[in-house]
Amino acid sequence: MRYAFFPGCMMPVKYPGHESATRIIAEMLGIELVDMPFSCCSAPTLLRLVHYESWLALAARNLALAEQEGLNILTVCNGCANTLKEAALVLRNDPALKKKVNEVLKPWGKEFTGEIEVKHLLDVLRDDVGVEAIRSKTEKTFSFRIGIHYGCHLFRPPRIMYPDRLSPSKHFLPTQMDEILDATGMNPVQYNRRLLCCGSGLGTKVDLDAANQITREKLSHMADKDVQAICVGCPSCFEQFDRGQVILNRKENCDYKMPVFYITQLLGLAFGVPEEKLGFDQHRTKVTALLDGGGR
Amino acid sequence: MKRPGLFNEELLYECYQCARCTGSCPAAFAVDGFNPRNILLTYLRLGIEAVITDEKLWCCTTCHVCEDRCPQLIDVADLLCSLMNEAAMQGHIPEKVRASAEMILRTGRALLVSRRVDSIREKLGLKPLPEVPMEEVEGILDQTGMAVLIG
Ligand code: SF4
Ligand code: SF4
Repeated sequence: MRYAFFPGCMMPVKYPGHESATRIIAEMLGIELVDMPFSCCSAPTLLRLVHYESWLALAARNLALAEQEGLNILTVCNGCANTLKEAALVLRNDPALKKKVNEVLKPWGKEFTGEIEVKHLLDVLRDDVGVEAIRSKTEKTFSFRIGIHYGCHLFRPPRIMYPDRLSPSKHFLPTQMDEILDATGMNPVQYNRRLLCCGSGLGTKVDLDAANQITREKLSHMADKDVQAICVGCPSCFEQFDRGQVILNRKENCDYKMPVFYITQLLGLAFGVPEEKLGFDQHRTKVTALLDGGGR
Repeated sequence: MKRPGLFNEELLYECYQCARCTGSCPAAFAVDGFNPRNILLTYLRLGIEAVITDEKLWCCTTCHVCEDRCPQLIDVADLLCSLMNEAAMQGHIPEKVRASAEMILRTGRALLVSRRVDSIREKLGLKPLPEVPMEEVEGILDQTGMAVLIG
């Protein structure tokens, strides 16, 4: 299992601890991550909305870079997965557009051919590594109640994100994180609005306070089900829940204390990786009380 | 380079204004006056100029739930994306969006890699981030027209 590692912007810059956890877990599970001079993916909530052609060209450059090495891309962010999968699909299906984009890339010795696959970490863990390997690496069992948040850009629109796995009604419901956490003996619980938006795309562009109202709605449904920790597979969703709770507690007299974990941080805990390598000090909603309390 | 048709214009006329998109929309829930059903209708009735000057257009989180739930299979989110592209072309870009786009144009990344970032990474035993070849990224964005738009 060898992949071009696509870290994106958010994880390596804002949450290096997530990256550290991811690299450690990857090594433990036999995934080799190859670093490359990728740029911003570029973001589906940003450049795609401002200038579609530029978004497409930058994505094509990133794809071409991995193609030159003959490697499939592994992304650790829903936004990067969304952009790279859509760009690859659009370019594969539109030869005229592909030609235009390749003319832009040509002076830089690059060409998009469409030969590689883009995979989100969650799919690599569930499908390539497999839940049995994850089960067998598990050393510690944690009993806390986990609210899983998949995040929209992982699987919407399904016709772009999982075209080969659509239900007869052309929908797709993600289950990867449930399966992965189940294998470690952790306890994901159901809650209302589980597959809906965290609010991030509104906060980063226009209005953070309004975005936090979306977050608050989700948090309240999690709290209704006594969720003790939130698990995400996207650093933008992470920030929205982690920082959102702090702001809501301060501005609106809420009392949310559900630490947020990137999936590889939870796997790190389960596999017995020392906590200082998992970057919990970058979290705004502190994890200490949960880990020191009944969680262990 | 011509902008690809992101949505099927004909299909928009299949909208029967049921507002399921809007009832499902997180941004409509959080922002007074943001209403994808109404944006679609206004666009069809009054044309593009009537919808692109309002900054609220940019409140869409791009969650694509509207498309998931629309009984007429209309890609509302892609319609909004096209409208935002047009708004940007005419200079209507929210400040935060402009700043992030500019960051990508100047550094190749959406976030600034500061010394502090490097030192946190070092403490965790992570290598510094690989340099993004900026001549190349700038060259590409210059060619596609992004540099003119933001620069
Ligand atoms: S859900 Fe579809 S048909 Fe109903 S108002 Fe929205 S776009 Fe129109
Ligand atoms: S994609 Fe935009 S318009 Fe559609 S439901 Fe999500 S926030 Fe609302």
